[in-house]
Amino acid sequence: MAHELDAARMGGKPHWGPEDILGGMTLRDLLFSNDYRHIAIKGMLTSVMMLGLGGLLAMLFRTELAVPDIQFFDARPYMSLMTLHGMFMVFGFAIPLVISIMYYMMPKVLGTGRLLWAGGAQWSYWLLIVAAVLLIIARPDFTWTFYPPMALRVGGDLVWMGYVAIALVALSEFIAGAVLFRNGWGAKGRWKTLPLMGWAALAEGLLLMGSTPLLGLTGIYMLTDWLQLSAVFDPARGGDTMTFMYMFWFYGHPAVYLPLVPAIAILYTLLPRFLGRPMWSYMSGVIAFALLAVLSFVVFPHHFQPAHNATGLVQHIAQTMSLLIFIPSTMHVFNWIATLWSDPIPASAKRAIPFKFMIAAILFLILGGVTGYVNAQVAVDSDFIHNTYWVPAHFHAMFVGFIANMAMAGVYYLYPYMSGRMYSQAMGNQHFWLWQIGIFTKVTMMYVLGYAYFPRWVVDYLPLPQWTTPQLLLTGGAYLIGLGFILFVVNIMWSATHGRIVRGDPFPLEDEKTHPAASAAPAE
Amino acid sequence: MENALGLSGYQALMMTIVFALGILGIAGLFLALFWPKRWRLKYRIEIGFIVMLLALAWYAEDSSSRIFTEYQDAIRASGVLTAEATEPGGTFDRELRVVAFQWGFAFLSDDNKISRNAVVVKPGERVLFRIFSNDVIHGFNIPAVGITTEFDPGRERDIWIRTPEKPGKYLIQCLNYCGVGHAQMKAWLVVRA
Repeated sequence: MAHELDAARMGGKPHWGPEDILGGMTLRDLLFSNDYRHIAIKGMLTSVMMLGLGGLLAMLFRTELAVPDIQFFDARPYMSLMTLHGMFMVFGFAIPLVISIMYYMMPKVLGTGRLLWAGGAQWSYWLLIVAAVLLIIARPDFTWTFYPPMALRVGGDLVWMGYVAIALVALSEFIAGAVLFRNGWGAKGRWKTLPLMGWAALAEGLLLMGSTPLLGLTGIYMLTDWLQLSAVFDPARGGDTMTFMYMFWFYGHPAVYLPLVPAIAILYTLLPRFLGRPMWSYMSGVIAFALLAVLSFVVFPHHFQPAHNATGLVQHIAQTMSLLIFIPSTMHVFNWIATLWSDPIPASAKRAIPFKFMIAAILFLILGGVTGYVNAQVAVDSDFIHNTYWVPAHFHAMFVGFIANMAMAGVYYLYPYMSGRMYSQAMGNQHFWLWQIGIFTKVTMMYVLGYAYFPRWVVDYLPLPQWTTPQLLLTGGAYLIGLGFILFVVNIMWSATHGRIVRGDPFPLEDEKTHPAASAAPAE
Repeated sequence: MENALGLSGYQALMMTIVFALGILGIAGLFLALFWPKRWRLKYRIEIGFIVMLLALAWYAEDSSSRIFTEYQDAIRASGVLTAEATEPGGTFDRELRVVAFQWGFAFLSDDNKISRNAVVVKPGERVLFRIFSNDVIHGFNIPAVGITTEFDPGRERDIWIRTPEKPGKYLIQCLNYCGVGHAQMKAWLVVRA
């Protein structure tokens, strides 16, 4: 019995046969088809393009920041690059890419056979496209957190488009949350055998639907404030910036878990698949998802801790919860390490590019996660953490190190199923190493700069020795990531026509000692 | 040089714990990957690990709150939060009003002298900064003494420091994006004997 439950829960089977969906798809299919694979492929392609765009912007401002003084950009264009980098990476790349991968995986992993309420996913996609276009036209320079009243007083005549875009992003994410929740809920009646991706879909759906209404409202109030119709956030006209802080960060903290939860779900699906055995603990994963979903709604005041507005009991609760939130993440990491450790790792897994990206992702989740222990503490936060490079170091370790690596693992894994051809192993390896060296350099240098009180959001800085060397290395790391991304794009484009044609299971389980090609037969 | 929050010792301990946890996690991952010996972990190891984390969380919550409360009590004890006094508050050697604006800091001393983007203090003094912003949300950070605050317009924020013993020029910077001049929003704490 236990064994059957494990088999159902682990989600470890190859779920599809390789098929040339990319080649057999018309433009009309790609744009408007409600087939889950078409929606997911469209989402993935768009998100990878957004990653390219956001990354290009990062390359531009990293070049500017490599050495002190202003070389290429003035403060305003620099801040536009920075703002669009943040918005495209968070709203356009991180969240939609992992959700698209979930759209692709859920129907087979959860056994529903199709994406329930695929029309919602379609709407969610197109709303996000409209938002992205509005942002590109408006080119706001108020950072992705758009604190009023600063954000109400910068930018040109078109800045209102930025606020409309924010409200549209909220609507798009809300609908995506409803789709995910609907698909998780679709498994009701068989909770005991629901794969962890199903629990992730439920948790993610609740996070999205619970948090995005306040983002939408914040966007709308920013718009009406800017139009002088209201004064919710503008203290000069009787509003209060603290209202903004509470409203925005009520979205803003769950928001950072929005790409995290699907990325974890992808890991829970791919790890048993490559190892050929179930996760170490199923319940541990379920409990961790539930804890993460609940705790993430009460930790947000740590984003403005040094503003000292949350005092007394509220301060204590926020700090305690912010400290406790590392427990669900630790449970996930513990589960993964225990799964890896329990039995020999098949040689086929060690070779597979998605598996490599997955391991790197776990490493960066640890690197980024441990600092949460100091970030949560108001006393240490009021020293070197708040708004120095320490914070970008923490969230770049999470967003690039964990989420982008996991997204790449998902894309490489799905690639043979979508195109019927294998990616180039050599280019995949080069991409892997360029990324890991680049991301490690970048994250470490950001931590070093943060510890040396380097302020966020500056175009120019003093030539202090503790600042200049890390900045130069940081730019070098960013270039390596950019180079790796170019290799990735070349790889998927080249392999779509020249890659080895896959028949049967593209990732057969093999071990050099025991049974070579034990499960080479396709599942379907 | 003493840290304003008295954090030097505590902070070193916290950073050590963070390093230790990171090394523990990465070592576990690498052993699980490369060590030939396989190990089926027991549930009680996970439970034990979580109990250890809970203990760490409790310790951090308790210490951090205590340090922060003691820091704020020093301001409260001087009585300046309730009085509109412009004289130096009880326990502080010097009281400065700071107006943060787009983009710079102005310092108003006890005798209503204004200095922009630089303020002269004596070594080892206890200085109280009463900070205001008239326009947008700004930050106020002095790296040399390790203190950061963030303040929204219309509300006063008070922080205090013990100035460095060594005479010299120390950076004061805005740590919150406040418009295109943010990178230029700096001032100097000039310590002169």
